[in-house]
Amino acid sequence: MTSTSLMMIILVILPFYSWCATPTVAANLSPANIDGLKAQFQTAMKSFSDVASIHYTLAGIKELGVVPPDTYCNDIKKLVDKSDVESIFHATEAARALANCKLPAEEYRALLTSTLQSDKSTTAEVYYAVRASVNLGLNVDESRVEKRLNALAKTDDSVASQGYALLTGAQLSQPIAKFYADTINDLVQQADEVDGRTLQYEGGVGTTALLVNAFYEVAEKAGVPVKIDPKQLIKFASYFSTKRHVATLRSAYYLTKVFKYLSDRKNTIPVVVSRTTPAAVSAQNPSVFVSVSNLFGQPVGEIFVVAESAKRKEDGAVVISKQKLTAKDSTSSIFELPFYDAKIPRGFYTIHLTLTPRGDEKLIGLTDNTIEVKVTSEAALENAELNVADRDSTAQAKTHKLTYPNALSEKLDLHSHQKLIIKFQVKDKRTGEYVRTQQAFIRFTNKKSKKEIIYLAEAVSGATAQYKAEMDLTSNAADFRYQSGAYDLVVIVGDSLLQNAFEWKVNDNVQLTFHEDSLADKNHQDLYLPRPEIIHQFRVEEKRPPTIVSLVFSGLTLLPLLILLVSWLRLGFNLSGMPLGLSPLVFHASHGAAFALMFVYWKYLDMFQTIRYLALISIPLFLAGHRVLAILAARREKKV
Amino acid sequence: MGQLGEVAGILRKLYDEYRTTTPKKLKLIDAYLVYVMLTGIIQFAYCLLVGTFPFNSFLSGFISTVGCFVLAASLRIQLNKANQSTFNVTPERAFADFVFAHIILHLVVMNFIG
Repeated sequence: MTSTSLMMIILVILPFYSWCATPTVAANLSPANIDGLKAQFQTAMKSFSDVASIHYTLAGIKELGVVPPDTYCNDIKKLVDKSDVESIFHATEAARALANCKLPAEEYRALLTSTLQSDKSTTAEVYYAVRASVNLGLNVDESRVEKRLNALAKTDDSVASQGYALLTGAQLSQPIAKFYADTINDLVQQADEVDGRTLQYEGGVGTTALLVNAFYEVAEKAGVPVKIDPKQLIKFASYFSTKRHVATLRSAYYLTKVFKYLSDRKNTIPVVVSRTTPAAVSAQNPSVFVSVSNLFGQPVGEIFVVAESAKRKEDGAVVISKQKLTAKDSTSSIFELPFYDAKIPRGFYTIHLTLTPRGDEKLIGLTDNTIEVKVTSEAALENAELNVADRDSTAQAKTHKLTYPNALSEKLDLHSHQKLIIKFQVKDKRTGEYVRTQQAFIRFTNKKSKKEIIYLAEAVSGATAQYKAEMDLTSNAADFRYQSGAYDLVVIVGDSLLQNAFEWKVNDNVQLTFHEDSLADKNHQDLYLPRPEIIHQFRVEEKRPPTIVSLVFSGLTLLPLLILLVSWLRLGFNLSGMPLGLSPLVFHASHGAAFALMFVYWKYLDMFQTIRYLALISIPLFLAGHRVLAILAARREKKV
Repeated sequence: MGQLGEVAGILRKLYDEYRTTTPKKLKLIDAYLVYVMLTGIIQFAYCLLVGTFPFNSFLSGFISTVGCFVLAASLRIQLNKANQSTFNVTPERAFADFVFAHIILHLVVMNFIG
């Protein structure tokens, strides 16, 4: 396979695969946490530390339908900073939220005018000044503001700046507002898409909410509908609906405004579909109830809901097709889907819903809504028996038949050569088939120490699905820490698709006798206490022989020297031929010095120093040696 | 029994011939060789007795005896007039080499003795 054809295959298959792999569980919106936002504002209302908080809280809670009392007017006047245009903006906005709060407009006029005339003010400052002026009833030079905004658009192209420009445009005349309303689509294109499901702007909830709010405000002033592609609007709505808790009051305020705009009948409304009943469907709860509302939790008008399909997660089997849901109330906000049926087997299901509005409401998010349910069933434990057998021989020693929920009345006595086997089957009462469960254990509890030892019951494959758990008193003795004594025996069965779980006390007096001595329980709590201190252990010195032995041998080593001297003398060693004179003297002296250097090296010096000294000594050594040997050679020559 | 007597006879003959034909100089060196060998044996016996710790010291001492033995043996070979044809060195030169090699050997041994 050539590399190009391989590349072609990859280029074709990858996109196809990723298209298939993209979850069709698209924007399942959830209703906004209106109560949470309200509580956040109400908590903030207890005490204010700055004028921005007052603005966001009072304006926010007014959006939610609670009118704040006028007493806050004094707080506003106290906390406003007259030299900061943003502070003035917050003050005027907060005053606007109250029924009767007048701020001294003349005190702020100078600063507002100078901000609007200055060439150094940012887009945000321009917005603050314009809005504050409008709130206070002061005149605004619109052409100047427009010129300033155009100049700023060239220098500052950040998303926030563009947002503030839109907000400012919403305060000016309609043609200007219309001009800015036409730029909404450009701004939407600059949003970041996450996971193909949500759209957001850099800066988090506060910035994104401020921007989307700006779209609606400016479109409202311009008298045109907000031109955002429905798919993108759903993605924005998806982003906002995931924000259950926001950290700052600013984010809370703008989020509230956005939710209001997205629930306003004048605009396109994203529809929220959610399940109101618990996820488990059983004979007692045979229906699934679904609520249809807008982001604020309010009804959206008459609407028809159809369950397109219900697919089982395990094998993709489709059990429902195009079934209509019935409306339970007149406002079309709660719908019922009867789901529990003999033909629908147990399992996890994903139900796809499609909504059709009656009128020509501007609703979006009508397709691709899913809800998850699970169909459970009741189970029974059958054919349970307890066997006590000898570990070596295969013949059964004793079989006790058990019936749930009765316990075995007689005492069980087990010794180390025996083993205990428990068998049972779990039957689905509805279908009559034997099922396998996620949890099937037997548990021994030490009656004295309350320690639990749990063993897994495993099912044989096939239709019978018989569970078997075994405990051998010799091979499993270590699990019990060899503690003989009385134990409780309990069978535990459970599954997420079973309505009832079992904790069946089979016997409360099982005597286990282990062969070995019991070990104390491991104290698991000690894991988190300080451990014993580790004291560094230096390397243990190796054993040396007693000093006497080594001294004796050192002496023994010198013994051969004596033997040498004796044998040399015997052989006729004499110094008669030794030449006398300067050179021989120097030779012998430097030769001796070299060996003395060796000793000194061993005791005191290092290699480098020794080499240096050796080099020093070797000069006279070699010169004198050469001379001496020359003398000896000459002597030899003479003899011959 | 007879073989043992034969071996003893050969050894005696060897010893007599050695005594008569070997020059004095070489006999002196032979005595020196025996001395070195004995020292080596005693060191080795000590090591077998008490163990090898410290190993470097044992090695250094033992290598010292082995080195001295080898150098002395090579000096003997070079001084032996019977080998004059193979080696073309004067006795003085052989001795000078002997001294030079010994200095290096002792340097190494002292370094290793620890």
